Amino acid sequence: MVSFEGDVDLQTSPDVRKVLLECVGRGQSVVVDLSGIGYIDSSGVASLVEGFQTARKGGHNLVLASVSDGALRVLKLARLDKVFTICDSIEDGLVVVG
Amino acid sequence: MTFDPSKPSLIDQPINPPEISVFEHLELLSEMGRDFASSQDIAVSLKKAVMHIAEYVGAAGGALFILDESGHNLICEACVGGIEITGLTVPSDQGVVGRSVQNHSGEIVRDVQNDPNFYNKIDQKSGFVTRSIICAPLRVKDVRIGAVELVNKRSEDGLFSDQDLHLLEAMSASAGLAIQNARQAEALVEQEVLARELELAAEIQRSLLPTARNDDFPIHGINLPARTVSGDFYDFFELEDGRICFNLGDVSGKGMNAALLMAKTASLFRCLGKTIHQPGRLMSLINNEICETASRGMFVTMIGGIFDPRSGIVRIANAGHEPALFFDPDGQCRSYEAEAPPLGITTVLADGDRYPESEFNIGQGSFYIFTDGVTEGYLSDGSELEVSGLTKILLDGRDKTPADRLADVVHAINSSKGPIRDDTTLLCLEQKIRPLGATKVGEASQNILIDDEQIEQIVSLNIPSKPDRLKLARSVVTQAASLCECSDDMVQDVVIAVDEALQNIIRHAYSNRPDGEIKVTICRSVANLIFFIQDYADQIDIKKVKPRDLSDVRPGGLGTHFIREVMDEVIFLPLPEGSGNLLKLVKRIK
Repeated sequence: MVSFEGDVDLQTSPDVRKVLLECVGRGQSVVVDLSGIGYIDSSGVASLVEGFQTARKGGHNLVLASVSDGALRVLKLARLDKVFTICDSIEDGLVVVG
Repeated sequence: MTFDPSKPSLIDQPINPPEISVFEHLELLSEMGRDFASSQDIAVSLKKAVMHIAEYVGAAGGALFILDESGHNLICEACVGGIEITGLTVPSDQGVVGRSVQNHSGEIVRDVQNDPNFYNKIDQKSGFVTRSIICAPLRVKDVRIGAVELVNKRSEDGLFSDQDLHLLEAMSASAGLAIQNARQAEALVEQEVLARELELAAEIQRSLLPTARNDDFPIHGINLPARTVSGDFYDFFELEDGRICFNLGDVSGKGMNAALLMAKTASLFRCLGKTIHQPGRLMSLINNEICETASRGMFVTMIGGIFDPRSGIVRIANAGHEPALFFDPDGQCRSYEAEAPPLGITTVLADGDRYPESEFNIGQGSFYIFTDGVTEGYLSDGSELEVSGLTKILLDGRDKTPADRLADVVHAINSSKGPIRDDTTLLCLEQKIRPLGATKVGEASQNILIDDEQIEQIVSLNIPSKPDRLKLARSVVTQAASLCECSDDMVQDVVIAVDEALQNIIRHAYSNRPDGEIKVTICRSVANLIFFIQDYADQIDIKKVKPRDLSDVRPGGLGTHFIREVMDEVIFLPLPEGSGNLLKLVKRIK
């Protein structure tokens, strides 16, 4: 599981991307806790998509948990709310990834 | 003299040869002519003709043979007396009748049973005894039509004389002419029926074209078919959100098959265009349908597009069509060439499953789509109009209404004598409004008049092109939107839009250089919250700023889509060369 806090924007998304790729690179499914995210922009969404695709290629999953309203709005705009598995809580997310 | 079909079989009633007068002869010819002229059914007239002739010559039976289309067979189309042989087919070089047709001459056979050409199978089957035959060809000049054959003279010995043959030859010559006239009349009637059907098809086709709108509507079109029906088409229709779908296409070939494919393509566009608003995807679906069902070798070149009158954005896809032309207010021309093959050629596209799209802002410019019938149309001096000629007419007429300008083009290629060379179709898209006060944005704390709407500046912010200033900008936008009593969702939306616009400037306009300057001016009017975002980088190619297909899940390319999705208006305002780029975003707050 990995948690992020604050705003994910052009300034911070390179770090988010790096952390996500490291996590999925360990060969396990990942639950991403977005409860502390106030704002996420298109570059942040791009990092999530890249992590998701890398996980899938390795036969694993990347699940989003506790997504804030603001982040959910952006995911919906990107039509990605149906692509990602979105869980209400971290616990639910951990159950999904087993 | 009339023939009474109610009489018993002629063969059983030997009679004396009739007294033949010139008057009677003429009377009979005239009666045959009337029969052919008045009858709707040529078969009935043939039957009457052979009856008249047999009766007149005094034969026990007669048959009229017509050559089939191949010329290899003679078919009995009518017969009287003797044996019923209607429908009998004989090779055109066999039998006494075949010999007469081949030799273009009358035949008289008085010793039938010893004639090598006599076809005796019918006699054998029926028990009928043929004693004598006369036969004369039916023809008009060198055109062979068939022959009339008479059997057994109604006399004691049943034998025909040379005089009978002369009579038959005279009658046959007249009958041949009457048959040819009747055939021509029949063909004429068929042609008229076809012409009526064609006119009906043209009427249906015209109903597929959109009704002309007022001069202030942004799209106008014109279509002039080279024949009754056209392979060209154009259409436009408004969507519920105010955007306008449009197209113009040209089906390969001319005539009815092209017209039918035109009707199909136009209907598919209109039907699918109401729910699918990406021209590239829409045209790909139409392409699949046409590839699946169109007849071999037929294809459609087409430009389909969608225009948003609020933002001025035009998005088009060009499937193998003539390049469309955009003229800016200074008359500078930019062409939009085809980047994919016509519809109906292949379902394998270079760009994946859709036709590539181009996007631009119509601004104060004019956009034209046309078929090759326009540029290849002949002028009165016999030369072709070509793109240069078209450009001249359009630019010369720039002060006229679009409808008048299009009429000028059609007039130029329709003024030469004779029919126009090809179907001719043009479509014009323009939105001529008073220039926006774009360059006034920098004039701080001053009210700006845009579209007669008084707007008030709330705040102006200058930031360097550094990612770490975005949070600050978002904060200012949040406060400004809250000041305008926007809902939380609305605040969130405008923050997303401005943030994405700033990101695009930092990453693309300034290529991540941190020393660029960005100016954000936030204004409000009674109904709108308005953002002007200006940079001073090199001018970007607006064509390349386009949202991507969201069904393709991949990182990146989402920012432009977000902006379009959440704002009501997104428009690049024209700035003088070297002044950077100015983006206007509008959110309706009431």
